[in-house]
Amino acid sequence: MHSPVVSKLAFFNSVTGDGSKIPSYRVLDVFGTPIEGAEVPEINERFARRLYENMQLLPTLDDILCSGQRQGKIPFYAQEATVIGSAAALADDDEVLSQYRETGVLLWRGFTLDGIMAQVFGNHEDSGKGRQIAVHYGSKQHHFHPVSSPLATQIPQAAGVGFALKRDPARRSKNVACVFFGEGAASEGDFHAGMLLASTLPSPTLFLARNNGFAISTPNSQQFYGDGISARGPGYGVDTVCVDGNDVLAVMTAVKEARKRCLEGGRAVLVEMMTYRVGHHSTSDDSYVYRERQEVEDRKKNNNPITRFRLFMESRGWWNETDEKELAFRLRRDVIKAFKRAETIKKPDLKDMFTDVYAEEPWNIKEQREELVALLKKYGQVWEPWQNELGTLKDGGKKLVD
Amino acid sequence: MSNLTIASLAAFSLRRRRADDFSIALAKDDSAVIFGEYIAFGRVFRCREHVFNTPLTEQGSAGFGIGLASMGHTAIAEIQFADYIFPAFDQLVNEAAKFRYRSGGHFSIGRLTVHTPTMAVGHGGLYHSQSLEGFFIGASGLKVVIPRCPIQCKGLLPSAIRNPNPVIFMEPQVPIDDFALPLSSAKILIPGSDLTLLTWGTSVYHCEAALRLLNSPPPSLAPLVPPSLRSAKVELIDLRTILLWDIETVVESVRRTKRLVIVHEAGMMGGVGGEIAAEVGKRAFLRLEAPVRRITGWDVPAALQFEKFAMPDEISNILYE
Repeated sequence: MHSPVVSKLAFFNSVTGDGSKIPSYRVLDVFGTPIEGAEVPEINERFARRLYENMQLLPTLDDILCSGQRQGKIPFYAQEATVIGSAAALADDDEVLSQYRETGVLLWRGFTLDGIMAQVFGNHEDSGKGRQIAVHYGSKQHHFHPVSSPLATQIPQAAGVGFALKRDPARRSKNVACVFFGEGAASEGDFHAGMLLASTLPSPTLFLARNNGFAISTPNSQQFYGDGISARGPGYGVDTVCVDGNDVLAVMTAVKEARKRCLEGGRAVLVEMMTYRVGHHSTSDDSYVYRERQEVEDRKKNNNPITRFRLFMESRGWWNETDEKELAFRLRRDVIKAFKRAETIKKPDLKDMFTDVYAEEPWNIKEQREELVALLKKYGQVWEPWQNELGTLKDGGKKLVD
Repeated sequence: MSNLTIASLAAFSLRRRRADDFSIALAKDDSAVIFGEYIAFGRVFRCREHVFNTPLTEQGSAGFGIGLASMGHTAIAEIQFADYIFPAFDQLVNEAAKFRYRSGGHFSIGRLTVHTPTMAVGHGGLYHSQSLEGFFIGASGLKVVIPRCPIQCKGLLPSAIRNPNPVIFMEPQVPIDDFALPLSSAKILIPGSDLTLLTWGTSVYHCEAALRLLNSPPPSLAPLVPPSLRSAKVELIDLRTILLWDIETVVESVRRTKRLVIVHEAGMMGGVGGEIAAEVGKRAFLRLEAPVRRITGWDVPAALQFEKFAMPDEISNILYE
């Protein structure tokens, strides 16, 4: 690369070239009306309903799970558009690596409410065998890689997944790796590493940054100084766009185009989705300690992704109040049903505490498992705390002891 | 030539020898890729797509390897020196080690191997000499393998690559002046009956040299080695795999000899020797005639000018015995 030579010493500090802030792409305004010059994507009523119902499912799940006192539960609501809009723009078999607020992608792809509850409750129907805390889903069938708590670790992994897709003749030019992360996680070294690898090697990896204004209690002003996450994209030579994350049609359009570029170029593409975290970070957090309640209420009222899209659908004659009432009732009923059912299902077999550490069972794990068996045989039926705990397991601990 | 250049040259000659091993891995497994810093330098490969340089980011390389392996590809990530593995620690301990377990067995990255030169080269100083296996033995789900020489490497590396678990393969940097190696393919390198001497990696040669000095000390050392000790039959074992280590062979040996000395280059605190001593102590307590003894590097960073006195060598081995 030969850069031009200049005789005048001039510093630069803008990716837009004229010092202005990076603009956000938008299709619908806060009242659901297409803004001037906007190109509304061609969607039919059926598709619009599917978008809307999946968006509504997220706060419904939140309400019931949070009020069900699931400690440490991570709420999804108010970022429905970022997640559902993105999911709708991807292929069902694009490999998704997520942070923890992207359950909507799983739901869009057909993951059941029973599956959701199984993981959150950690019962024996959980494919993860009850090992992880709530919302740490994984599903091979749905091309959704298991969530892990350390932030941003999934980002360079996604670059590797993309590279694998590129090498596979059956999937090259068909699928991308898609990685979600928050604006806080983007401060981690792994963000830089992942962007560097996917842009340089390169590998067809789609980077979707959810900028919701807060990393637990840290607001953006304390997280970064640059012009958002999108300002970093050109630093890696990566095609970048910033989009109104509360506008589901804008998100869908932007991610669709980003995915197309990613597939054609075989290289990283970055989309930053601007939104606002209306809820607390988790059930262990009280965000009114670090921000004004009024600010939150204003946002909920004036820039609600669900409201915006509903108004759009109503303007098309695709939705009305009866539909709204019926949907609210149906979703709540289905979620409560799955919740109540999951409450009755026992935890996994105790032996699964010791399996899957290695492909085979090594001597140290075998001995430790046998040690627990000996302890259970001695105290399992006479020590009340253990008796009670064993009662919650599917096999009562029997498969381990026998 | 600066010491750094010497260290780099040592590593480079190691890489040329290793090119054969990697070529074999590539030839047999079409999905295999090898990547890292400084990897494609000066070599001609069958296909550029299989061997490539990565940007300078160990955390990136490790994460990238995990992603590749999660899709069933054979991924061999090269870390230039074990001393530089720490940026990748989070990816290796929090992600790689736990990958299979946290997914309920539905996802795995068994095809990941992280290959890195380790141990002292003689001129490496603080950051080209470290033995770091101890940092990883708490990461259940990983395997850690340390061959003692290039010939062992030829056999152990393919096994590591094919093993259905993620493996950290730490290959000792053979010093510039090669040792004369007693060739033996058995793990018990020298059978004995009076004491078990357990070690791995470069230390194997120091121990072997120590035994020779013990049996027939040169005039300068003769006064320090009592004649009664010179006929001691010491059983020398190369452990080779650290995680998970071969407890059966070690305990069987100690039950016979009743004495155990563990030697490793890594410092004493948190070193693998402590782990082994505890387990052997538990299983062979009544047979032991002396406490398990560790001969290790000092608990100080590897200072360049003092390397001769920092790592256990023949002298320290004899003295302690």
